[in-house]
Amino acid sequence: MLIMGEVRTGLLQNSAEIEERDHQTVLGLLAGERVRMSRRPIVYAVSPDLLTGVDCRLPSASNARIRGVGTLVSRATITGGRILQGSSYVRVVRGEVNHRLPWSHYLARPGVVEVLGKVSAPDLAGGFLAFGPPGEQLDLGSVSDRFMDVVQESALLDLRAPFRSDRTRLRWVAETGEPGVHFILGESTGRTLRLTHHGEFSPAVVDLCEDLALHDWLLTALLTIVQRARIGGASRPEVSARLAPAVDTLLHLWMPGARIHPSLAPLWENLERTPGFSRQWQSLVERVRDQLAVNTLALLRETNG
Amino acid sequence: MLVFAISDKGGTGRSVTSSNIVYRRALQGQDVCYLDFDFGSPTVGAIFRVSTASRGTTRGGMHRYLQGEITEPSRIDVWTESDRDTIRAKPAGAGQMVLLPGDQGGGEFATFDAEMLKRCVRLFAKLHEQFDLIMVDLSAGRSFAAHLALAATAQLPKIPARWLVFHRWTRQHIIAANGLVKGEHGLLDVGREYGHDPGALTDRIRFVRTAVLELGSGDFAHLRPAQRSWLNEIDRELRELATRNGVGLTTMLGKVPLDPVLQWREQLISDEDVAGTEIANAETVFAFDDLAKKIVDDTAWEGL
Amino acid sequence: MTSFSEVTAERQIKSGPLSHVSVELGHLYMEDFQAGPDRLRQQFAMVAPWLETVRRSWQNRTPGGRARISTCFLIDDYFSRFSTPDELVPMILDAAAENDLVIDYLARESACAEADGVKLAKLVEDRLVPDPPPGTHSWRPPPHETGWLANGTRSPVAGAGQAMKPQIRWEPPTQNAKRGHSIFVDVELWNDDNRGRTWSCPFLAAVWQLLRLGLLRNEGRLPVQPVQVDGGFPRDWDELPPVVKLNKSATPFSAYTTMSVLSTRFLQVELAVRTILSQVSVDEEVLKQVLSRSTDEDLRLEEELVDRISYVFL
Ligand SMILES: Nc1ncnc2c1ncn2[C@@H]1O[C@H](COP(=O)(O)OP(=O)(O)O)[C@@H](O)[C@H]1O
Ligand SMILES: [Mg+2]
Repeated sequence: MLIMGEVRTGLLQNSAEIEERDHQTVLGLLAGERVRMSRRPIVYAVSPDLLTGVDCRLPSASNARIRGVGTLVSRATITGGRILQGSSYVRVVRGEVNHRLPWSHYLARPGVVEVLGKVSAPDLAGGFLAFGPPGEQLDLGSVSDRFMDVVQESALLDLRAPFRSDRTRLRWVAETGEPGVHFILGESTGRTLRLTHHGEFSPAVVDLCEDLALHDWLLTALLTIVQRARIGGASRPEVSARLAPAVDTLLHLWMPGARIHPSLAPLWENLERTPGFSRQWQSLVERVRDQLAVNTLALLRETNG
Repeated sequence: MLVFAISDKGGTGRSVTSSNIVYRRALQGQDVCYLDFDFGSPTVGAIFRVSTASRGTTRGGMHRYLQGEITEPSRIDVWTESDRDTIRAKPAGAGQMVLLPGDQGGGEFATFDAEMLKRCVRLFAKLHEQFDLIMVDLSAGRSFAAHLALAATAQLPKIPARWLVFHRWTRQHIIAANGLVKGEHGLLDVGREYGHDPGALTDRIRFVRTAVLELGSGDFAHLRPAQRSWLNEIDRELRELATRNGVGLTTMLGKVPLDPVLQWREQLISDEDVAGTEIANAETVFAFDDLAKKIVDDTAWEGL
Repeated sequence: MTSFSEVTAERQIKSGPLSHVSVELGHLYMEDFQAGPDRLRQQFAMVAPWLETVRRSWQNRTPGGRARISTCFLIDDYFSRFSTPDELVPMILDAAAENDLVIDYLARESACAEADGVKLAKLVEDRLVPDPPPGTHSWRPPPHETGWLANGTRSPVAGAGQAMKPQIRWEPPTQNAKRGHSIFVDVELWNDDNRGRTWSCPFLAAVWQLLRLGLLRNEGRLPVQPVQVDGGFPRDWDELPPVVKLNKSATPFSAYTTMSVLSTRFLQVELAVRTILSQVSVDEEVLKQVLSRSTDEDLRLEEELVDRISYVFL
């Protein structure tokens, strides 16, 4: 009836992009399963699916006591050998009975949480997207976060990332209906996305949410770097030095919609109109490039004259 | 970088000094956070003047996180949540300044288990992703907080870690500071137990003298010659004692002069306190600023 | 749209042949061996009528009475090593033959830890999805960090408490699926020491059950293929294939269901095995394959894994 998920996005803790052959080690979170990779238009790798069992209250806008039992599906992805995402989602359905069944019943339905009792989808979605204080409620984000941690703990990584950055959190809900998206940029690191699509839920929806989270993170990271560079406030070499990591690590990663199933492409186009991700990105990139060019010119002039 | 603030005794000025270092580092444009690992007395919120955490937080802090009750300890953005206007006015170019307080009513841990250690390791690793400087204020003396920090850093060899030992400029404090590092069950002893190389760990430890009276300063103008020469004699003795105890100039990262404001109140010293209201001394801010730079300046940490 | 075809095509999951039931005729440990060949003969004499019962009941369930029944026997070479294959295997086969029993497959216990370079125990451990006690709303330390797996909530432990806080009071453990009262089970999956990891006997036995049910895959392929050995057994256990096919005309090693005829001293181990198996997440694709095969054969399989496993304790 309702799918909800949370994607966390951050920088892989390594000084350089990781090599293609290292993805299997870093993302191989399940013995006997291969990491899947695609190389075009950008190197992208995804871990096997992982399950986590839960039995807890579900979020509710009206603060109703709703209990759900089942498993979440999680996975970790790396894009461009640089950006790490942890993503978890769950399909919430009404259980057939009002009491908890043996665990094997839920294990046979991976990625499904069954509600014991009554539940309304809007109430659930509202509660989930509200980013309430962490408590006894289902916490998809911390599961996503945890799998990111596991990846970051990999012995292959040198923990010398080119710059410090925050992980962003994107909570999303998806339902079937007339196609539409609604993205809200919250304070600090929280973002929400409501999505309706034709037909049954498919993992392509998760791909879309992850892709959106990825580009939102890129934009956020670049914005922070530009703000911190204190253009006009600090000396030219200082500004250039502060902008350098953005050029080295981020600029070439912008490829919105590259991995999106054609049936969902119109949703991305919607997001490009409002809030207009690519527009903002382009103007930031130009600003960075202009600054570097001007600063280099100024330096040249100083050394020559 | 992880920086652990420790002292053998309570009341040395460890919390006040390390908070001010963090504040200065943020003003210098770095992303910093401050972890209250003084489990028996989680009051660091008071120094930052965050009233919601002046005696620890009620929203889930370090105690509950380490005990596995919550998945993430709550964070306080000092720039927005401090009650002091001068602190809330975040200058352009300043970095993030985040406080991770203990729990209200939280107590010293009686021991720690493998799970707690894992949670601590995870927290440090995660903060390293976000912050340039992670200041960890440890309980005074030989504590489980210090044990935990030693055990956790042994598992995170790739994250640079440094130790600041705070002490006052008195006979007892000098001897105690040395004992805390080199004595039985001191940092080096316990560090070795968890797999630290004693030589390498020694290189990561520096001393900070707090609330120091500068004999040359104007404060002493009113002293009689006999008093002055007595003080000079004592100071010379202390310097000798410090050198003998390995707490001398070579291992000292810096010293903070006695400041009238800090003597009366535990707080961050803002530039406004010096240049505006003139209640605090410029030398104090200078010392904090200097420490904030030296903490990350590798030349100050070269092997001895 | 993401196309993974450059490196790995969509996941391909191989399927293997299956019997109706895999009957385990016994487990051989050091102490059994030390008790001498007579002990083994007695054991087989007790097992024989039960095998007959299983055979008859499956013949009744299958069209034309063509029940596919394979038998197997497990030797411990993991916890302790004794004798040699060329001495021990013929002795076992003789003792079985005296009771008109045919052992189709012989397996080494260490195969459940690692076989042909595949770390089977690790494979299963990674697929544990612990049964969450009520109130589980997020990630919990997985069994691969603690080495223990329970069927409920443990008693709170005193220890890492805080000074001047009320002491933690004892509370009983509880079983998640309790009916009125709890039967709390907490299973040690492994322990580590300076020689490395030792998997526990119940954990290896759980792997053994999954192997016999044909539910394990390594990168989509079937791990551990039985190898035919005709006479001439090696002198070294490491040279004996993990699973040996002794009977040329045997039906497949893996089966829809398993039956184990065991001494009652294995009762606790098998309770632990069921505790583990009820928390293993088997690949959906593999489950579907097995289900569609059985449906093609007009067979109705129990939905839950643990219900496909049965025992006779002697
Ligand atoms: N440089 C200083 N000059 C004067 N007083 C100081 C100075 N540094 C710290 N103090 C004061 O010393 C006392 C103890 O400091 P505190 O930081 O709480 O110590 P600790 O954390 O070591 O217990 C406080 O009242 C504090 O304001
Ligand atoms: Mg203090």
